[in-house]
Amino acid sequence: MDPRRLLRKAVLRIILGLLGAVFLWPPAASAQEEVTSSIRRYKDREVSTGYYEEHEVKPRRTRPFVQQKEVVRRYSAPVTQYRPRAAVEPSVRSRMEDSHEGIQFYELRRCEECHVEEAKHSHTVKANLTCRQCHGGEPIAGINYYYSPMNPIRRNAYVCAKCHEGASVSFATFLVHEPKAGDPATRKTFASLYYSNWFMYLLIVGTLAFFGLHTLIWVGKETYHAVSEKMKTKPEAEPPPAEKPEPKEPENE
Amino acid sequence: MSDQVRIIRFKVADRVFHVFIMVTFLIQSVTGMGRLLYHTNWGKAVVGIFGGYEGASTVHNTVGILMIIGFVIHIIYILAKVEWKSWRKSLLDADSLVPRPADAVQFGQQIRWFFGLGPRPSFDRWTYWEKFDYWAVFWGMPLLGISGVLLMYPLAASRIMPGWVLNVMVLFHRAEALLAMLYIFIIHFTIGHLRRGMFPMNEGMFAGSVELEKEKEEKALWIARLQEEGRLEQAKVLGPAPWYRTAYFIFGYTALAVGLYLLLIIIVYRNYIEWH
Ligand code: HEC
Ligand code: HEC
Ligand code: HEC
Repeated sequence: MDPRRLLRKAVLRIILGLLGAVFLWPPAASAQEEVTSSIRRYKDREVSTGYYEEHEVKPRRTRPFVQQKEVVRRYSAPVTQYRPRAAVEPSVRSRMEDSHEGIQFYELRRCEECHVEEAKHSHTVKANLTCRQCHGGEPIAGINYYYSPMNPIRRNAYVCAKCHEGASVSFATFLVHEPKAGDPATRKTFASLYYSNWFMYLLIVGTLAFFGLHTLIWVGKETYHAVSEKMKTKPEAEPPPAEKPEPKEPENE
Repeated sequence: MSDQVRIIRFKVADRVFHVFIMVTFLIQSVTGMGRLLYHTNWGKAVVGIFGGYEGASTVHNTVGILMIIGFVIHIIYILAKVEWKSWRKSLLDADSLVPRPADAVQFGQQIRWFFGLGPRPSFDRWTYWEKFDYWAVFWGMPLLGISGVLLMYPLAASRIMPGWVLNVMVLFHRAEALLAMLYIFIIHFTIGHLRRGMFPMNEGMFAGSVELEKEKEEKALWIARLQEEGRLEQAKVLGPAPWYRTAYFIFGYTALAVGLYLLLIIIVYRNYIEWH
């Protein structure tokens, strides 16, 4: 056969093959990430044996914490970022197995009565989750308690992956209870959010103030012109009024 | 209307893009506001139209993808429109939307006119505020598009960046969307459509043509340029057919009503809106 025709045929097949590959490509099976080890990683998921492989404790892809340099390291253990308030007011309870130990009337009250701010996030408000779907049953461990499922070294697998299949360590650094972006404390705990907030705030206020004023003056000016134009043309349309006597207003009395 | 001389201003493609962005933008506004205010009764009711929170999300995501596709098509379209052999002229002449030094000058003149310090400036084909309208949307689209796609696939997104960036993306997405809505519903509506001389409706973007006499007032430079280049006769077109005019009046006023309604909702529910 003509070698050029052969070549063309081969190229065509390669292209078609590649196109086919696009469709046959295995979907990103993100869950695979969790079972690459020969020991099955999270044996029965919810039941903690207290035993973790090294790579679970030291994630390679991303450190499990929001990394920001200005964090004050006041305590011997590194003060980490994943708990929004941590850098501002570190709490002992955060490292306790039962974070509510000794808190009176705890059993009688609902989570959101005491944790008002924590109840305002999209997982609860929009996705309609209960606190316990993430924080688990009693006792609710502090976030920093070593064996807590919420501990960032295993949060992705023990909490997030229950619903977000294949949640990675990086994914779990998403702050479920976002700090208030406008709060001055956020400048320390989550600086990028704080400054993004200011940036967008200034952008919105600036744009609207500038163009709002621009529009307002413009509309005012055009209205003024139209009205004064009308007042000027009015006497011509009507018969010119006869000599009006000056209004008799005594000037100084 | 038909007895007035009309000249062409927007080609069919431009008008299709505009109608496309009107429709998609309003759908995104309604579904987005419904989701943003889901914790209020209004939000629940609006989301209910789309079959609940998830339905509204699906619509929002799908239309978002459509918008991105439309934007890419628009970019390809404008790149194809530029005459690359004489790109400098093609990009910088008065028929182009690229900002020029003359815009800054005209802006200064306009401000002086505002305060009675000078005559009303005459503009060329595109005024500085029309250019701002265009470029504001142009840069808003990628910001909303990128943050939106990242939030749509949070798991995939967290592979290419730390998960907490999504917190920032939520903020960007909401704040930019609010800015876009406020800008369009207050400023674009007023300048483009409700201002004296424009009222009851600026038909240029729908009919494609504008009245020559009216443009001689505001865009005198453009008309003069057309005359000079001998293109004025060529630019003259017939007015829109009555049925078409009726249709776009209904369409335009519906869009205006939806926009003003959403503006009202933003104002009424301002304390419930959390942009982060
Ligand atoms: C009686 C009030 C009260 C109730 C009800 C309550 N908590 Fe707490 N919770 C507290 C206090 C006080 C702390 C300690 C906070 C601190 O020291 O920063 C705490 C700590 C926590 C912590 C650990 C915080 C950390 O820094 O690691 C979690 C998690 C938590 N609560 C979740 C819940 C959940 C989920 C519920 C509902 C089942 C709940 N709480 C109900 C008062 C309450
Ligand atoms: C989607 C899972 C999820 C749900 C639902 C959830 N939390 Fe949390 N919670 C977390 C994570 C993750 C942290 C660690 C810090 C963070 O990401 O904000 C946390 C931290 C906390 C803390 C520690 C203080 C802080 O702000 O960091 C408290 C208190 C708390 N949660 C209370 C609650 C309460 C009350 C509810 C129910 C209204 C709730 N949580 C629902 C995932 C969740
Ligand atoms: C019980 C199920 C459940 C668990 C556990 C859970 N999520 Fe979610 N998550 C959801 C649902 C449902 C949505 C969709 C919410 C929406 O569309 O607003 C969601 C949405 C998200 C989003 C998308 C952004 C947004 O605000 O809508 C992120 C990011 C996220 N979750 C992170 C996490 C992280 C990190 C954890 C682990 C700490 C976690 N989730 C645990 C159910 C869960």
